[in-house]
Amino acid sequence: MKRWLTLMVALILAALVVPIGAGAQGKDTLTVALASNATTLDPHMHFERAGILVNINMFDSLLHRSAKLEFEPSLALSWKALNDTTWEFKLRRGVKFHDGSTMTAEDVKFSFDRVLEPGSEKKKSPQYGNVRAIKEVKIVDADTIQLATDKPFPLLLERLVFFPIVPKKHVEKVGEEAFGSTATVGTGPWKLVEWKRDQHIRLEAFDQHWRGRPAFKYVVFRAIPEVATSVAELKTGGVDIIRNVNADLLPDLKSHPQTRISTTPILRVHYMSLDMRSAPFDKKAARQAANYAIDKQSMIQKMMAGLGKQVATVVQPPAFGFDPSVPPYPYDPKKAKELLAQAGYPNGVDITMHSAFVDFRPHFEALGQMLTEVGLRTTVKMWDPGPAWNKYFQAEGKATNGQYGSWGNYSVFDADAVLHPLYHTEPGGWIGKHYARVEGLDKLIDEGRSSVDPAKRKRIYAEIQRMIREEAPSVFLWTQNDTLGISRKVAYEARPDEWLWLFAAKPAS
Amino acid sequence: MSAFLIRRLLRFVVVCLGVSLVTFSILHASGDPVALIMPEAAEADRAKLREALGLSDPLSTQFVRFVGNAARGDFGRSFFHREPAFRLVVERMPTTLALTCLAVALALAVAVPVGIYSAVFRNTVGDHAATVVVFLGQSMPVFWIGIMLMLLFAVQWRLLPVSGWGTWSSMVLPAVTLGAFTTPLFMRIIRSSMLEVINLDYVRTARAKGLSEWLVICRHALRNAALPIVTVIGLQFGLLLGGAVLTESVFAVPGVGRLIVGAIRQLDFPIVQAGVFLLAMIIVSVNLFVDVLYVYLNPTVRLR
Repeated sequence: MKRWLTLMVALILAALVVPIGAGAQGKDTLTVALASNATTLDPHMHFERAGILVNINMFDSLLHRSAKLEFEPSLALSWKALNDTTWEFKLRRGVKFHDGSTMTAEDVKFSFDRVLEPGSEKKKSPQYGNVRAIKEVKIVDADTIQLATDKPFPLLLERLVFFPIVPKKHVEKVGEEAFGSTATVGTGPWKLVEWKRDQHIRLEAFDQHWRGRPAFKYVVFRAIPEVATSVAELKTGGVDIIRNVNADLLPDLKSHPQTRISTTPILRVHYMSLDMRSAPFDKKAARQAANYAIDKQSMIQKMMAGLGKQVATVVQPPAFGFDPSVPPYPYDPKKAKELLAQAGYPNGVDITMHSAFVDFRPHFEALGQMLTEVGLRTTVKMWDPGPAWNKYFQAEGKATNGQYGSWGNYSVFDADAVLHPLYHTEPGGWIGKHYARVEGLDKLIDEGRSSVDPAKRKRIYAEIQRMIREEAPSVFLWTQNDTLGISRKVAYEARPDEWLWLFAAKPAS
Repeated sequence: MSAFLIRRLLRFVVVCLGVSLVTFSILHASGDPVALIMPEAAEADRAKLREALGLSDPLSTQFVRFVGNAARGDFGRSFFHREPAFRLVVERMPTTLALTCLAVALALAVAVPVGIYSAVFRNTVGDHAATVVVFLGQSMPVFWIGIMLMLLFAVQWRLLPVSGWGTWSSMVLPAVTLGAFTTPLFMRIIRSSMLEVINLDYVRTARAKGLSEWLVICRHALRNAALPIVTVIGLQFGLLLGGAVLTESVFAVPGVGRLIVGAIRQLDFPIVQAGVFLLAMIIVSVNLFVDVLYVYLNPTVRLR
């Protein structure tokens, strides 16, 4: 008994004496908390936000996007469309990979080919869908490549902003598994030092990076799943940047002596998609009633600390094709009741709405309450994101009434990136396949994505926005802000594309 | 003894098969991982990937193939990590086991002395205070205890790191959190089993021999009271591995629990199967060990 006691006391003392190493960081290190680490560091073999945020700091793509959302030269110095289906890119010369080799047109071609896998039936990259329009990658000369698409593909440049170029020889030498875990090599500002699974990814500045040296010598991405924990780390200096700060935490982080917040509207729109295949939302009046029933302004003020903006449709202001002349639905419960009566439900109707959007559960419940008030008596069903994700709209033929969710366009600033997944009914589509049945909409979406003429596309998207505002295949809600919690020792601001482009981060003076 | 072990080993195999079947069925009923792997892809591309992953075969074929491979220690490659699932789980197992064992050790270090005290000084102020603490401890969720401890010791007083794993100091809060979850139960069991034996004849005999009260309690009473305690530790071990999932999330500990929870979210079947299988094996082994331990603690127990 006594020995045990002594041992325990000794252990506890030892624990207290050991210096607190984990939290203490020098000012040459920038530490970022992510909810999870990437599952692989191979930039072509995942499609997860956490992985992309790490990859962009280790790799370069042909194009870069500025904080003002303009295309900038990166590994490509210039680009132009030769015709509707062929683009030419001039490559930057003398760019070094982290292993010291020089980037060539071969590496660019290799990078595309390992995702496109021409000739292979089975595609193993989850990013294949993004670039499947690219039919051929042709090396013209040492500094020039051409991309040929199977049809006009206006989103090509958008897609190339995150399409990292990897070193051919190195990948072939070390193999894919090592390339994704221990031997990751790119041309970006930081190179891999160590990846401790579920703990941290440590990067060190790359001396020969073509932009020059970043302000922070080391970058550490820590994997911290709990928001409360990452906030505690931020306050105690264990991390410098945390993402996705909720409205309820804002006052605390604003007033704390060590922390501040940086917030910006992002490309994420909230909506309730309505199941147009069955009653009551097969009737336009019922769908419009649902749109009039929601008091968007007061929800934004009261539940989101004012960090959001109501929208007229799902196309958001920063996206190409946005038409500001289309007005949002006003809050008008009286009109909603009238419309519902017109649709044949003077005494209201019972509906069920589904969602897997756990972070916004209170909002979902408030939405259900507002619908109930005008007679759309709503049962809200919350699902766990993974397992039940596709349950509610894979119930083909069954009335599921609708789904509350958000769409982030995968950071593609173009109307097509939200219209196609939400409303196009082609087999294999996303939500549109199950819910949307708007006459003539498929054709317009197809026209918009098969032209590279900006003026023509703008016209088409303006027409679509007026059409969906009237037809109301969804309840259109609001755009969301992304809010970072940042240490006062670090100068960095949130970006509208939710990227953490840490080359722009500096120690605060 | 050996017949006993053989029977137990057979049961072990049955349990493993059962656990695999249940995990397998629940997973396959829960959704389509390919929809999560390539969210924006066309159905034709998804079908190709489904085939490549072997997910388009009939479920029975998939299960037979899974059991065949699992018997050789091959649980398949993780859909997302692109590495063998078993290796990903095994890599993280020492962390989870270390956390769990530390928590059990801490819980015992508190529960044994307090439990004995409560039994010996039954119905005193100290005993009642201990009972209140027990109720409090059992009614607080692990998650909440963890965050409260973190706010006090790491944010307010800055004595310990907020989260992480690797240094001794970073292990204190997770182990205390998980230990706090199980201490009350241990304490209650120790108190009641001590009460049962403390008035028995042989204890009175020991006292009559003139032994000191300390020796009577530790050598005679506690030894016989130990049996239920050991049983409870065995049973609690499974619960603790479950509690470790929450603790790992709160303190960002890189353990198996976090891996499995993440894998369930993504429907990463191979990791969930490998993880649940390994945890089940550990729990079965611990219980087997507890059964064997009975013989040494109480010679009247015979294993048949």
